[in-house]
Amino acid sequence: MFSLRMLFRSWRGGELSLILWALVLAVAVVTSVSLLAERIERALTQESSSFLAADLVVRSSKEADPEWLDEANKRDIHTARLMSFASIVFYGDDLHLASIKAVEPSYPLRGSIKRSLIPFSRDPNVIESVNFGPAEGEVWVDARLLPLLNVNLGDSIDLGDQSLKISHILVEEPDGSSYSFIGARVLMNYADVAAAGVVQPGSRITYRYLMAANNAGDMVDYRAWLEPQLDVHDRLITPDQAQESIADTMNEGRRFLLLAGSIGVVLAGIALALASHHFASGQTKQVALLKSWGISATSVRRLYLQQSLWLGFLGSAAGLMVGFLFHHLLLLIVQEWLPISLPLAGLRPWITGMATGLICLAGFTLPALWHLPSQSPLAVLRQDVVSPPISSAARVVLGVLAVAGLLLWYSNNVTVSVAILAGFGLTALASVAAGLVLLNLGMQYGRRLGSVWRLALANLWRRRNQSLIQMVGFSGAIALLMIMVVVRTSLIDQWRFQLAEDAPNHFLVNVAPYELDGVRDMVIDNNLETAGWYAMVRGRMVEINGQPITETQKDSHESFRRELNLSWTTDLPEGNKVEQGVWWDQLDLTKFESTAKTGNSLAPVSLEEQLAGELGLSLGDRMTFSVGGLTFDAEMVGTRSLNWDNMTPNFYFLFPEGLLEEYPRTSMTSLYIPPEKKLLVNDILRSYPTVQVIELDKIIDRIRTIVSQVTRGLEVMTLLILACGVLVMFAAVSLSMSERLQESAILRTLGSSKRLILGIQAIEFGGLGLMAGLLASAGAELSVAVLQRFIFDLPVTLHLWLWLVGPVGGLILVGFLGVVYSRKAVVQPPLEVLRSL
Amino acid sequence: MIDVKDVSKQVTTTEGNLRILDGISLSVDDGATVAIVGPSGSGKSTLLGIVAGLDVPTSGTVILNGANITLMDEEGRAAVRADNVGFVFQSFHLLPGLTALENVVLPLELNGDASALETAKDYLSRVGLAHRMTHYPRQLSGGEQQRVAVARAFACKPRILFADEPTGNLDTGTGKIINDLLFELNRQEGTTLVLVTHEMGLAARCSSIIQLQAGRQIEDSVAVSEKVK
Repeated sequence: MFSLRMLFRSWRGGELSLILWALVLAVAVVTSVSLLAERIERALTQESSSFLAADLVVRSSKEADPEWLDEANKRDIHTARLMSFASIVFYGDDLHLASIKAVEPSYPLRGSIKRSLIPFSRDPNVIESVNFGPAEGEVWVDARLLPLLNVNLGDSIDLGDQSLKISHILVEEPDGSSYSFIGARVLMNYADVAAAGVVQPGSRITYRYLMAANNAGDMVDYRAWLEPQLDVHDRLITPDQAQESIADTMNEGRRFLLLAGSIGVVLAGIALALASHHFASGQTKQVALLKSWGISATSVRRLYLQQSLWLGFLGSAAGLMVGFLFHHLLLLIVQEWLPISLPLAGLRPWITGMATGLICLAGFTLPALWHLPSQSPLAVLRQDVVSPPISSAARVVLGVLAVAGLLLWYSNNVTVSVAILAGFGLTALASVAAGLVLLNLGMQYGRRLGSVWRLALANLWRRRNQSLIQMVGFSGAIALLMIMVVVRTSLIDQWRFQLAEDAPNHFLVNVAPYELDGVRDMVIDNNLETAGWYAMVRGRMVEINGQPITETQKDSHESFRRELNLSWTTDLPEGNKVEQGVWWDQLDLTKFESTAKTGNSLAPVSLEEQLAGELGLSLGDRMTFSVGGLTFDAEMVGTRSLNWDNMTPNFYFLFPEGLLEEYPRTSMTSLYIPPEKKLLVNDILRSYPTVQVIELDKIIDRIRTIVSQVTRGLEVMTLLILACGVLVMFAAVSLSMSERLQESAILRTLGSSKRLILGIQAIEFGGLGLMAGLLASAGAELSVAVLQRFIFDLPVTLHLWLWLVGPVGGLILVGFLGVVYSRKAVVQPPLEVLRSL
Repeated sequence: MIDVKDVSKQVTTTEGNLRILDGISLSVDDGATVAIVGPSGSGKSTLLGIVAGLDVPTSGTVILNGANITLMDEEGRAAVRADNVGFVFQSFHLLPGLTALENVVLPLELNGDASALETAKDYLSRVGLAHRMTHYPRQLSGGEQQRVAVARAFACKPRILFADEPTGNLDTGTGKIINDLLFELNRQEGTTLVLVTHEMGLAARCSSIIQLQAGRQIEDSVAVSEKVK
């Protein structure tokens, strides 16, 4: 316990503050991020389940084998059946083709249904969340059904032979987005379907079988049992597939958290290394004294090892606690979109946090202290007898190994680790090389300047070893902070762009040519803009390279079974990118046009890249399409990748203009309809009953909420990392402080003014900061390019502001810290300063 | 107690070999007080370091309380120091993060002394610092700091106390108080005292004097001692 007492005294004496802070922050950053990441990971699985309203769904065009449900019940898996279909609902003389969803009482198995008693209200106080569906004889309906049928809440509407009472307004279904939105939604009880008599053999019905298990293992087993029994009519849907756009945002958010955490670890590591170096140089005298009293090198080593271990455990324990508190703070911010009972994290984040502390200590502190036991006791008599620390190269290698190990373990991603290490390593190397040049230039140039400048710049050159170490610390910290801010900003910008306030939230589909002008006018009369109108021809693929589509092919992909949407355009649509082959501007279209008129036509077609792959089609393949009994051939001349995030119409099959116009066609578009103009949907449907409106506004609102919460979470994380950066700066500034204070005190004794001394410090540190900032800008630009290209899948862009913020920020921040730190030299009497050193 | 025979110390510098000590021999009896005097650079502190086992000579032997420390490695010398030796330094060498009491307690704790705290308090009282025990070195004057160092040295009950310019950083008045303390405690504890000093007045209080000039012992210790008297 003697070592603990020694440690306590060192801490009380202030010698350990920096090491301890660095350690606590490193552990806190890692722990909070790991805890948060793990709990969100678990919550996300639940959340995605709620998008499905289940853990697993089988979608089918036929009724399920009863054995599936029996087997599920045997395995303690909850089930709910539901059917969805389009059917006419009546009220008096009014009728509407509604989108009916009939659910068993156990629906939803995950997530909840939101309902209210006030139509069109978005007031959260009147919206109620429930986890059961309508009772028999009742329906919950979309608010817009009320004006469509001229009914009120409490009235009964007719569906087939059944009269059903409207008991609630349906505000949100957990799995709402996964259905086609033809008409207004009517949610009814499963048991009422048979009595209504609306479902006949041959009716187009989608059946869904929802399943959820308390134990994830049960579901895995059940799925293994179920999968072999499914045929081409059945499709398994898992939570991952349910909401890809949200999953993307969350994945990017998670990657950012990881990146921020990794940067935090590297920063805290640098701070720890600098602080340890500083601490070790202060311990030389103490060790020499201990040894002069006859304490053996072995005992000294044991003493410092024990102290380091205590420091590691206590610092890490404090870090775990701070991390725990911090993750709660982060949770407070992001909890709105998380399930109320967020699953608890396992042991891993705690182990990761503790290991971070110990590994950081082993990689940064122990190497700095390693030489201490071999310190000669003679140093008590002579200042110059100082045993050399282990070489800087060895310490750098050990530090890099520790950081690399931590980064890898932590991010589980080689690219992230390499990008950060390479960015930092290059910055460090460049700092050393360019730093020497800059320092030399500074000294040369300083000779021509006034005395303060001359002294300051000469000091930097004279202390160049220390200056270089500080420059590496400063530039590393500035670069890492800038990397984080750039990545955070571009991520958030990208999300905001994807989900801009006026991003299209409704699709209008199936608009016949004679309806087009009318619908277009209604949109324009409401001062709304569409994403452009696209014509569409529905056709079936019947042959590939002259061979009819086989049954096996039909079983393998639904595009071989159903009608496809074929469209045309002259310009490559926004968000589309040619991946293979060509676009029309590189084709000689006359050859195609001439054949179009012969009736035995050949058209060029561009396919969506992924679909082409799934269908086994490659450039030059010919396919035959049948449109209402007429056939034509098309040659695949290119593939495109699409951007699915921008909510504009996307087409798998695109043709040039002028080839398909003669076939029966409809039009479609997407547009933003603000909440206050929502009734436009009713007007359109009333005037043009065959037009289909797909409403995405609710799901977009939901995504937007999640994105804004995640964004706020990232901002809080950024603050924590900034704290790490400032700590590094402090550690670097304190490195040379005692020498500087001594010199300042001597200058002061010799009668130098306060202004001169603070001026020298300001120029020295400001100069260091400026040079470090310049180097940091280069390092950050490089790292960001790597991260954008390989991790976040963003376009690589230059950031000119980095080149301004880096040097100016470095100059101000480092200069300020340096001057604040060295104020002691001018505030206290010089003798006191000299005595305290 | 101390037997030094023909000790030389040579170091290599950029300008060739430099002989710091040349054929020094001396013998100090149990309980004796010895002053090593000489001008700056004459090798006084080097000799003290070698005799105390902090450094090794290039040639010659040093026997400390029967142990030939010139044949030992650093670990062996450390053990001999632990059993026999205490120090008082010109620049005090108090640990800045520790209070006066803790500075005195530290070596006792390292030696596993069960009553370290009581012993330390007792010695601090004996040097007149009972009221400053919880003060940090920065809160003490130079003389007070050196008194703490003296208390720390004697608290470990060394057989031999080495003092390197103990009053070199102090004014004359304060220096005298420290010297009195040093000799008084030395008398009470029966310690052998070897001190390096510039001050002939201090040297004169010792039973013998070794005078060095350019690394050589210029006169017989006893004779010098008598001359001073």
